Amino acid sequence: MLSEREQERYKRQIMSFGQEGQERLKKAHVFIAGAGGLGSPISLYLAVAGVGRITIVDMDVVDQSNLNRQILHFDRDIGRKKTASAEEKLREINPDIMVNAIDVKIDETNAAYLVGGADGIVDAMDNYPIRYLLNDVAIAKEIPLFHGGIRGFYGQATTIIPGKTPCLKCIFPKAPPGEVFPVVGVTPGLIGMVQATEVLKYLLGIGDLLMGRLFIWDGMQAKADEICVKRNPGCEACGGVVKTARNKK
Amino acid sequence: MTVKIRFFARFRELLGTDIVTDVAPGMMFTSLITTVSRKNPAGYAAIFDENGTFHEFVILMKNGKRIEIADAAKTPVEDGDEIAVFPPVAGG
Ligand SMILES: [Zn+2]
Repeated sequence: MLSEREQERYKRQIMSFGQEGQERLKKAHVFIAGAGGLGSPISLYLAVAGVGRITIVDMDVVDQSNLNRQILHFDRDIGRKKTASAEEKLREINPDIMVNAIDVKIDETNAAYLVGGADGIVDAMDNYPIRYLLNDVAIAKEIPLFHGGIRGFYGQATTIIPGKTPCLKCIFPKAPPGEVFPVVGVTPGLIGMVQATEVLKYLLGIGDLLMGRLFIWDGMQAKADEICVKRNPGCEACGGVVKTARNKK
Repeated sequence: MTVKIRFFARFRELLGTDIVTDVAPGMMFTSLITTVSRKNPAGYAAIFDENGTFHEFVILMKNGKRIEIADAAKTPVEDGDEIAVFPPVAGG
C-alpha cells in the first residue's frame, strides 16, 4: 500500500500507469552495477520513480575527473567512496525507498550473491569482462539485463531477457580492448535514461522493450539507429540455456 | 552495382558513414571493407589487425544479418546491400 505521502509524490506518474503500477514499482528490487556515468542518472531516476529497493555496487572513490558526468557525486565528495556518496544522495532524493550501496569489486565469486533476489540487473559498467559476468548471472537467474555502453558522443543500449532475446555474448562475443574512453556527460545521461525507461516498462509490464534490438545513439549527428540482433545458437553463455529449459519440461 | 556501408561509433569518427560505393560483381565482404577503410590509416587500424584480419571484436552485418568474421572473406556483397560495421561500445 502506498502512503499518503507517496500518493502525492507519485501523483503525476500514477496518471500514466496507475496506482497498481506504482505499487509494482514499490515492490521491485533493482540491482545497479556501477555508480559512475551510467549508474548516476539511472539510480537517480529509478529512485525518484519509486523503485522500492535499489542495490548499487561500486568499488571506486570519487575523483575530480569523474565530475563531468557522474552526477550522483558532488565536488565535496572527492576522495569519498562512491557507494557512500550514492547512498546519501539517493536517500535524500527519495526517503521512501530502500537503498543498499555495496562497496565491492564484482567478480565471478560474488556476482550471483550480490544480485540476490533482484528483479533485474542494470549494466552500468565500463568494461566487458564484468558485463559478461552480469550476463551469466542474468541467464542463471532468468532475470533481465539492461545493457548500456557509451563512448564520447556515442552510445548503445539493449534489453536482454534470458531465453527470449540474444544475450550480451550473442551480440558481442568478444570484448574490445580496454581503454580510457572519452566521454561527455550528456551521453551516459541519455543512454542511462533509455536503460531506466526499459527498467520501468519491464517492472510495470507495459510498452515494447528493446528486445532483440540494439539501440544506437550518435549524438554528433543527433541520430538514433536500431540494429536487429539475433540469438547465436552456438553462444557459449546462453547456447545451452534453452536446451536445459526444454529438458526440464 | 552499389552498396551502402554504415560505420558506427569510433569507426564512424574515423571513416564517416553511409558510404555508397560502386563495387564489381563478386567482390567479397572483407575486400570491400578493406578498400573503404584504407582511406584513413587510423580507421583501417581500428578495424583490422596487422595481418589484415578483422579485429575479433568487430561486428559485421549485411542487411541486418550477422556475418561471422571467419566467413567475411568468402561472403560476396550483392547489389543494394546495406553493410554495418561496428565495435562494442564499452564505456559506462
Ligand atoms: Zn548468448
